[in-house]
Amino acid sequence: MATTTAAVTLTSDLLSDAMSVTASTTCMKAGTTADGLDQLEYAVVEIATGDEYDLICSTPTASKASKLYVKNHSIDETYFVAITQNAQAIGKLYGGDWMFIPADFHDAAGDIAITSNGGTNKIEYALFHEGTVLTAT
Amino acid sequence: MATTTATITLSSTDLLSDELALTTTATLTDAGNATGITSIGGLGRTNFTNNPIQSKVIYRSDDATTDGANKVYLKNLSTVATQFFTVLIDQQEMGRLYAGDWCLFPWAATGGVKEVFTTTIGGTWVVGETFEFDGVLITASSTDVNVIAPQVNNAYYPNWTTTIANDDEVTFTARHSMDAGTVVTATADIVIVQTGGSDATAVVSAAAMGTATSSDILVVPSVVTTMDLEHMVFKGKA
Repeated sequence: MATTTAAVTLTSDLLSDAMSVTASTTCMKAGTTADGLDQLEYAVVEIATGDEYDLICSTPTASKASKLYVKNHSIDETYFVAITQNAQAIGKLYGGDWMFIPADFHDAAGDIAITSNGGTNKIEYALFHEGTVLTAT
Repeated sequence: MATTTATITLSSTDLLSDELALTTTATLTDAGNATGITSIGGLGRTNFTNNPIQSKVIYRSDDATTDGANKVYLKNLSTVATQFFTVLIDQQEMGRLYAGDWCLFPWAATGGVKEVFTTTIGGTWVVGETFEFDGVLITASSTDVNVIAPQVNNAYYPNWTTTIANDDEVTFTARHSMDAGTVVTATADIVIVQTGGSDATAVVSAAAMGTATSSDILVVPSVVTTMDLEHMVFKGKA
């Protein structure tokens, strides 16, 4: 099995004492402790302002432990991409922001969609998953 | 200016033909500028022990800025591999957070409209008559409506806030955005207990319906036994 680790560190000096929260997880297949996610889609795309696009083209197996990482590489702080799932707004990733979520692609409507705003946004994304439904040619 | 950062490291030595080592840091700012965020909803831990299974609202859209640069952190503290939290935004399932898993995502916090109505304290009141709303009972200490209205305004209601105008007009605003059906439904809950044939009134003189929020964050545990969720929200201005 493959071993992939996702770690996060959150820090701030906004409070009366320094805050530092860390978490680390080994990305496992759903419900297991010994079988890691072993498939990956990893890409960088440039998305022009305008239409909404599905970020993931294939359909990962539903109700599994897929993890999606998305980063907006824009350096203009006014640029952002709006992230939605089945028309439900999740939030906006501004230049430099990233997100890491469990993604349940329960059907085509559960795809993660993205809309570029402000200008062309360069987006890096990685989907760690345990199987996809490939589209036949 | 305070500095708040979020750093992610994704690493693997055997997933690809060469090592995967990705690290990036985001400085959390308000929307569309370089000003650091100024509000954090502290690190919290919520226990779920319910039979049958019940969802909980972890963050309400009303408590953050709509379309602000908000970020939400969630972690499943369970150590049992099969236990997961289903994460939802409003009615949309985002995904499953299995034991030990964490996530960080931007949050639109799309708010709704809080229901509001104004009632005018009028008629002839007798000392001792009561005004009851939202489970709060106010007993008139005077026959003067300009004294009773401040009594109504000064009380603390679990689901409403109040303001007063023109000495006798009390405006109630719901604490949370929601669609309560009709304004009539909400305002009909006012109960005035009259004595001695008085004609004490609290007539609704203005009202506006509310609408529900559409991006509250809910989680649902997968089992009825104890599960714990760690969570934090970073609130960025729009």
